[in-house]
Amino acid sequence: MALSLKNVSFSRQVLPVVALVGLVIAVLYIVTGLPDRELEEPSREPPRATGELAGQNRVAGAGIVEPSSEIVSVGTALSGLLTAIRVEPGDIVQQGQPLFTVDDRAARASLTEANAQIAEARAAIAEASSARETADRQLALFRNVEDPAAVSRSEVIRAEGEAAAARQRLELARSRLSAAEARANSVRTEIGRLTVRAPITGEILSVDKRVGEFVSAGGPQGAGSEPILQMGETRPLHIRIDIDEEQATRIKEGAPAIVSPRGDASRQVEAQFVRIEPLVVPKRSLTNSAAERVDVRVVQAIYALPMSEEGFRVGQQVDAYIPARESAR
Amino acid sequence: MIWIAIRMLTGDNQKFYGLLFGIAFSTLLITQQLVIFVNLIERGASSVYNVPSADVWVMDPVSRTTDVNFPMPSTALDKVRGVAGVEWAVPHLRASASVRTKSGDLEGVSVIGVDDATLIGLPKNMVVGTTDVLSRPDTVIIDDVGTTRMFGEASPIGERLELNDQRAVVRGIADSIPSFTSQVTLYTKYSQALRYVPGTRNRLSFVLVGASDEISPEELTARITEETGLRARTRDEFAQDGINFIIENTGIPLNFGITVALGFIVGIAIVGLTFSLFIRDNIKQFGALKAIGLTNGKIAQMVAAQALMVGLVGYGLGVLGTVGFIYAFSANPTFKGFYIPWQIPLVSFASILVIITLTGWLALRSVMKTEPAAVFR
Repeated sequence: MALSLKNVSFSRQVLPVVALVGLVIAVLYIVTGLPDRELEEPSREPPRATGELAGQNRVAGAGIVEPSSEIVSVGTALSGLLTAIRVEPGDIVQQGQPLFTVDDRAARASLTEANAQIAEARAAIAEASSARETADRQLALFRNVEDPAAVSRSEVIRAEGEAAAARQRLELARSRLSAAEARANSVRTEIGRLTVRAPITGEILSVDKRVGEFVSAGGPQGAGSEPILQMGETRPLHIRIDIDEEQATRIKEGAPAIVSPRGDASRQVEAQFVRIEPLVVPKRSLTNSAAERVDVRVVQAIYALPMSEEGFRVGQQVDAYIPARESAR
Repeated sequence: MIWIAIRMLTGDNQKFYGLLFGIAFSTLLITQQLVIFVNLIERGASSVYNVPSADVWVMDPVSRTTDVNFPMPSTALDKVRGVAGVEWAVPHLRASASVRTKSGDLEGVSVIGVDDATLIGLPKNMVVGTTDVLSRPDTVIIDDVGTTRMFGEASPIGERLELNDQRAVVRGIADSIPSFTSQVTLYTKYSQALRYVPGTRNRLSFVLVGASDEISPEELTARITEETGLRARTRDEFAQDGINFIIENTGIPLNFGITVALGFIVGIAIVGLTFSLFIRDNIKQFGALKAIGLTNGKIAQMVAAQALMVGLVGYGLGVLGTVGFIYAFSANPTFKGFYIPWQIPLVSFASILVIITLTGWLALRSVMKTEPAAVFR
């Protein structure tokens, strides 16, 4: 039983030790090899309801930032080539400020033409009035002759006729003048219409046509034509929040909503209630899916962002939490 | 006395190694098969465990597992967000698609769309690259096992794929446990996934939910179901659903059950026979021991010691063999994520105890009946 090397038995001593070591290795391997299934906090902040909303009933919705005037797609009343664009995206424009002009050379040529017609009509008036003067003097001369035998009756009739004709020519020339002036006026109006002015005070959001491109009247509704520029009142910005119609009855109207922009959920802004759109609409995709067919209808609630908030842009998506009514569930 | 028993046992090398082999082999068979069985059916839960941060999964009432799902309208996300106790909720898309590789082959893949802003839904770790690559256009992240299936040894980084006529560029490799079918998995942003998967009306497969601290996930699932009518499962419940789906729909439990039973039977047969023979051979020695006045109880102790010695050494060797097997194959993509649940060695230990008790008891009966005179026959 002495522990000399000669006495070591493979089956009695080595094997049990091997088995024991094997068991220890197995235990270590098993313990270290167990899969890691720990739950962990997300590394980037997801949107969450905070403050009072955290523990109470609320309604959530996806929203989109829009100008408080909604987006105005400015079009042109007359078709033609764009000759000048006076604004850039981001400009703040006042109501009535020129935005862009459409090619007005044809209209200006018409104006020149109309002006020439005015001059022509004025010359005709001068000519007709001198003719009338001549005829009137002739007639007066005949009328002043006492002796009836001195002037034949037919002479007098002819002179009377000439005087009347001269008066009418003058009338005609005058109405030609006013026609030419009216035409000049209408051409001037047309030239005015070729310069498109801002319909409201607001910010230019996009300019989608370049100088030299052809724009057609009819605006964005026309087949395939896009708006020339888009503008809207961005002070303040509004948020249009889509809420599933099933949830819509739970909204507490008038209470402020908590919104945070996509991708920056740690930033939470309180937006004031503006109104709920009276029309329930099919859900429009705010999730970039192409050709979305729809069986969900949404109520749209409008909230105003505080004026001081920077960094919200028109068209940006936001996640919103709105308090629910107390009675709801 | 016990030492004499051990010397008796190891005196006959053939029988000793025969016994050892029997025990070690059945341990190996039972343990290894159970390990593979458990890991194989846990593949059904891997998709759930690959998402490290979701407490609760919300789905359409008819969805059953991560792969058998029925998409919901996108407003379901907002409904879930409106439930009190929901800390956060993000959309999650899982769908299968066909991808055209550069060589022109078609390959079935599962596309997983994770929330654009937070990237919740990605596996915990990356093998190559960071999760930030998803912010680049047309990016997909491939899973590590899928890489070997699709690209072999070559690096997939920068490879261009075609999904639903759209371009996709592989820019990262995620460290994830493959699913049961071990399909190639492509992770991408939710909005991107909508383009990659041919569209049906509803696209949102799951809503992943984080429970707030005040509420347990179990309570939250009940509340979500009550308020939204959607099916909500906690992480563990949903993982179990995936496992149950495989158990119900495949013959795997039966097949592995048969193998484990065979291991048990082989163990009993070899060990039982050899042990009986060994005892019978040594019946004279036992007779002699009885003749010098050893009680039956003492002899029972000796036989128990012999059985225990064989059992323990054989078991140790068998478990070592299993560990060696799993270790040797751990680099193989097929065995990615395989582990030995600690319960399984205990199960096989219990089986071995049953085997040696049974055979020891059978062998002991003849020894008990031996008369001291047997030594003279």
